[in-house]
Amino acid sequence: MEVKKKEKIMQADQNLDCKGLSCPMPIIKLAKTMKKMASGEVLEMLGTDPGSKADVPAWCEKTGNVFLEHSEEGGTHTFYIKKK
Amino acid sequence: MFKKGVLRELFDSLFGKSWPMWVGGILLAMMNILLFVIKYPWGSSSGYTNIGQNIFQIIGVTSLGTKVPISLHAVALLNIFVVVGAFVSSLFSREFGIRISPVGELVKGFVGGALMAIGATVGAGCTTGGFFTGLAALSAGALTLAAGFMIGTFVALRYLLWEMEALPNISMGKSFIFLTGTGKKTGWQRWLGWLMIALVLFLFNTYTASSSGAMKIIGWHIMIGLILGMILQRSRYCIVRAFREPFMTGEATAPVAVMLSILVALVGFTVIKYFGVGNAGEFAARAIEMKGVYANFWLRALIGGFIFGLGMTVAGGCAVGTLWRAGEGHVKLWFAALGFVIMAPLSKGFIVPAVKKLLPESMQKQMFLPDILGYTGAVVLVLFILLLWYMFAKWNEKTGKFSAL
Repeated sequence: MEVKKKEKIMQADQNLDCKGLSCPMPIIKLAKTMKKMASGEVLEMLGTDPGSKADVPAWCEKTGNVFLEHSEEGGTHTFYIKKK
Repeated sequence: MFKKGVLRELFDSLFGKSWPMWVGGILLAMMNILLFVIKYPWGSSSGYTNIGQNIFQIIGVTSLGTKVPISLHAVALLNIFVVVGAFVSSLFSREFGIRISPVGELVKGFVGGALMAIGATVGAGCTTGGFFTGLAALSAGALTLAAGFMIGTFVALRYLLWEMEALPNISMGKSFIFLTGTGKKTGWQRWLGWLMIALVLFLFNTYTASSSGAMKIIGWHIMIGLILGMILQRSRYCIVRAFREPFMTGEATAPVAVMLSILVALVGFTVIKYFGVGNAGEFAARAIEMKGVYANFWLRALIGGFIFGLGMTVAGGCAVGTLWRAGEGHVKLWFAALGFVIMAPLSKGFIVPAVKKLLPESMQKQMFLPDILGYTGAVVLVLFILLLWYMFAKWNEKTGKFSAL
């Protein structure tokens, strides 16, 4: 239940719902949303594609944004990403 | 399900987390070599066409139908059991879930599938049979097909980026997810996986118990389909990404994985062709050499590849990528498979004859590279092209010159 606690602490400035979408739509939406955010802001992203587990951290590493957190419940993944 | 122990450890190491895509690439190439030895190297689109023809046959449109039922078509069954394999492996890894995307996405799936069907029939090959297999089989058409994929993918990716700005509603709206592996009461999912494996073993046994060689071959396609599906799902192997990523995020992971699978298959295929290994009673040595070489060099493959590239990018999966994602429960890809299946016989009946008539013979040649360059020259040429592709992907990964995101 540690994950749950963290979830509550994490404050998001922006939300992005990618539930139901499959590759490549979540990453395209993520990139588009992050472009409009200010440096230091945190995005909460929801998704149901198992591929996102690897794709989101990889994209963050590639673009220099900070991947903060990932949790999963009932097939829905929650990601927290901080804009560089 | 198991007591904690060595078996559980083995199970978790296989299904606990994804495999690197390049591991999948090597394993898939080995399976492709086996398929070549058994009968034909790996292809997928002719299986879609057969399934579609059977549908037209059943609804009474016999002009687009076929007399070969799915149960006797090795490639159609291979496709179906790739779906089953991916289904089993997503159940085991708790990644299965029926994911219904917004309506706009479902439409894109269907349209993408239909475009892939046109591309694969016009170009005489998809990313698997025409490109992965074709390049390893030293077919000249595979090169122009790849050029077509690249242009088509680039254009369709521009469309997706434009759509996101101009028509964001297409990918927004209600979505649903059912039966996921990590919710409550999900123990049955792994048992269902084992049940599916038992079913495949039963079918394998039924086919291979027949005295007919053709039935034995079909039985092996069922088994290899299951294995392919599991490898594909675990490694999330994706040829669309190999073409798309350089233009999107710039990552070189997928291109490198696909290059590696072509490289491994190239070694196996070349040995098989050089020595004429295989069912020599059925195939003369020349026929074995020409396996995986299609009459599509050069413009025919370029046009087909372009259309296929558009389709696979819009759908989010190539012919084979559609199959394993469908098995994992992505309903958008169910629609892509449906579009592919319905459009393939139509395209084969109406579009392909027109294209064949329109194009001069010199633009739709069945060209086996060793006939011009010798085996050494042909293999060196393919290695050189893979090397160029590698250099481009790696350089672009660093500089991001061609990446949009």
